Amino acid sequence: MKEKSSRWIKIGMGTCGFGAGAQEVHDCIEKEIKKRKLNVEVKKVGCLGMCSLEPLVEVHMEGIPQVIYGKVTVQIAKQIVNNHLRDKKLVHDHIIYFKEDSA
Amino acid sequence: MNETIVLLRNTSSDKNEDTNEFYQRFKDTLNQSNLTKPVSLVRALDLGIYHKGNAIRIYPEDIVYTNITDDDIKRIITTTLKQGKILKDLKITSKVKQVRIVLRNCGRIDPENIEEYKMREGYKGLKNALNGSAKQTIEELQKSKLRGRGGGGFPTWRKWTFAQQQEADQKFVICNADEGDPGAYMDRSLLEGDPHSVLEGIIIAGYAIGASKGLFYIRAEYPLAIKRVNHAIEEAKKQGFLGKNILGSSFSFDVEVRLGAGAFVCGEETALIASLEGKRGTPRPRPPYPSVSGLWGKPTVINNVETLANIPYILTHGGSHYATMGTEDSSGTKVFAVTGKVHHSGLVEVPMGTTLRQIVFDICGGLPIGRQIKAVQTGGPSGGVIPEKYLDTPVEYGTLQKLGSIMGSGGMIVIDDQDCVVDLAKFYLKFCVDESCGKCAPCRLGGYQMLRILEKITQGNASDEDLEKLSSISKAMSRASLCGLGQTAPNPVVSTMKYFLSEYADHIQNHHCAAGVCKSLMNYEIIQENCRRCGVCQRVCPANAITGDRDHGYRIDLTKCTKCGSCYEACKFDAIGRD
Repeated sequence: MKEKSSRWIKIGMGTCGFGAGAQEVHDCIEKEIKKRKLNVEVKKVGCLGMCSLEPLVEVHMEGIPQVIYGKVTVQIAKQIVNNHLRDKKLVHDHIIYFKEDSA
Repeated sequence: MNETIVLLRNTSSDKNEDTNEFYQRFKDTLNQSNLTKPVSLVRALDLGIYHKGNAIRIYPEDIVYTNITDDDIKRIITTTLKQGKILKDLKITSKVKQVRIVLRNCGRIDPENIEEYKMREGYKGLKNALNGSAKQTIEELQKSKLRGRGGGGFPTWRKWTFAQQQEADQKFVICNADEGDPGAYMDRSLLEGDPHSVLEGIIIAGYAIGASKGLFYIRAEYPLAIKRVNHAIEEAKKQGFLGKNILGSSFSFDVEVRLGAGAFVCGEETALIASLEGKRGTPRPRPPYPSVSGLWGKPTVINNVETLANIPYILTHGGSHYATMGTEDSSGTKVFAVTGKVHHSGLVEVPMGTTLRQIVFDICGGLPIGRQIKAVQTGGPSGGVIPEKYLDTPVEYGTLQKLGSIMGSGGMIVIDDQDCVVDLAKFYLKFCVDESCGKCAPCRLGGYQMLRILEKITQGNASDEDLEKLSSISKAMSRASLCGLGQTAPNPVVSTMKYFLSEYADHIQNHHCAAGVCKSLMNYEIIQENCRRCGVCQRVCPANAITGDRDHGYRIDLTKCTKCGSCYEACKFDAIGRD
């Protein structure tokens, strides 16, 4: 399926996500994106199934592979915005899924 | 993209330091090897591979190497990264893959935005259904061989046909979202992550049987699911998927949400109906089945959340296509909520016929390091345990039943050598005793008596006769109880007695619990020969039951000891004895 925008970030916000702190991660990512004036759509989605690795954050950005990050804290969320979205560099220690970028 | 990306992970360790070390070694070797191609090394959290030493995944080729030694690092760099050749001795390909039908949209779309659902073939199944007759819809379902995912496994098309054949001025469809099994949460995730697929399923069901009204029966403990389902209903109404003359057809259908107050027995269909009618949630004898006389005496179809989520997919892709997945006996996929002593707990959707071993070890990463699997409990309080030697059994309705367990709604709890099966059986039985509605005597009295015997066993006061009593009460309960709750409540006891009778005997005869769970049977003491007098046990004891000091050694005061096991866990010198 084609997504409307080619730059998006999805945050798993089912009960398991909320329990693991997805709300704080979501708020932090929105704030950081706004602060850096990045044109990225932030989406709330349901549970992907890997509940033990919540909060999950999936990032799609042209020029860098599509990645799902697991066990994301507020600290890591900031790194995702700065390193992954802005500098197009992968963040260490939190990647759990990886897909070749097609866009 | 020209850059090669290498993800690294030590898959045999939970510690990040081990991965870090591997990463450093790889990085150093790479730096020395004057490779001209850009390669970036990234430490991963999970590679989808477990207990296979140092492992890497190379992109874009998607090559996986495992059990990598220091010598291998050099070979990988010179052969694979430089020349693009594959090292066959290190490479593995994973065979087990999840297939996502029910969870096709979960975590992929915004559940509060109908447009995203529509972009992923949403409401296409409904359109297809409305283009044909109700009979054709049921025929498509018959081809798919879909069976109810709530646990019973009754063919869905037959349920629908019964209801469709009834003459009535009104019929109902109910979505049973009263998920109550301990450890199961598939329905919650589905309603939270993709409410429209369930809603579409209920609308199609309404069309197929000629109902005018649908109801979601969701337990009140799922506030987020309730909120998102309500939102989905509003959106669907605005877009004309609900209401009068849906999509220009003559079919009109409305959906409402009703909340369950959290009684386990209300997941049973007749009790659920009673609860919806405002009566006490107690079951009644069947027949008449709800498809003949259900809510307010009208023909009613009750389907589980997961069953309904399959239906749009079947109507979009065709029943014959759906039937190609899974096995002859059970078609399609099943979602399991895997919890307990497993590396990654979570939701897993696999084609029917996948073995338990594949689910537990290949997908969920097996047990935490150093633990031994004892059994897998499936089907919640109505199910049973499947011991390690039967883990290669393919998961189907029939095969699990033969082993004395059931598919159930999809809860799967992995138990290891530190779990006591008697205690486990007691836990499930206690749950059923608490949840018994009390209407029929076999369940009300039988469950209580069985629980008392199990308590005696775990306290070391039981005799061999008690085991016979347990068996005979079990038989009586499963034959004479009114509804599924009482009929299946003894299952955890029966199946654990079948496979782990020696453990029961150990409790009764030797007053010994090998797993160290049954507190009444245990005593802790300090083994003075091993004790280095470090004092850790004294510091961790929450009950101040350890007296003494470094000079004179330590002692456990058994009158104060709560048998929590903190000292046992804390001692590094095996100086705490447990018997």
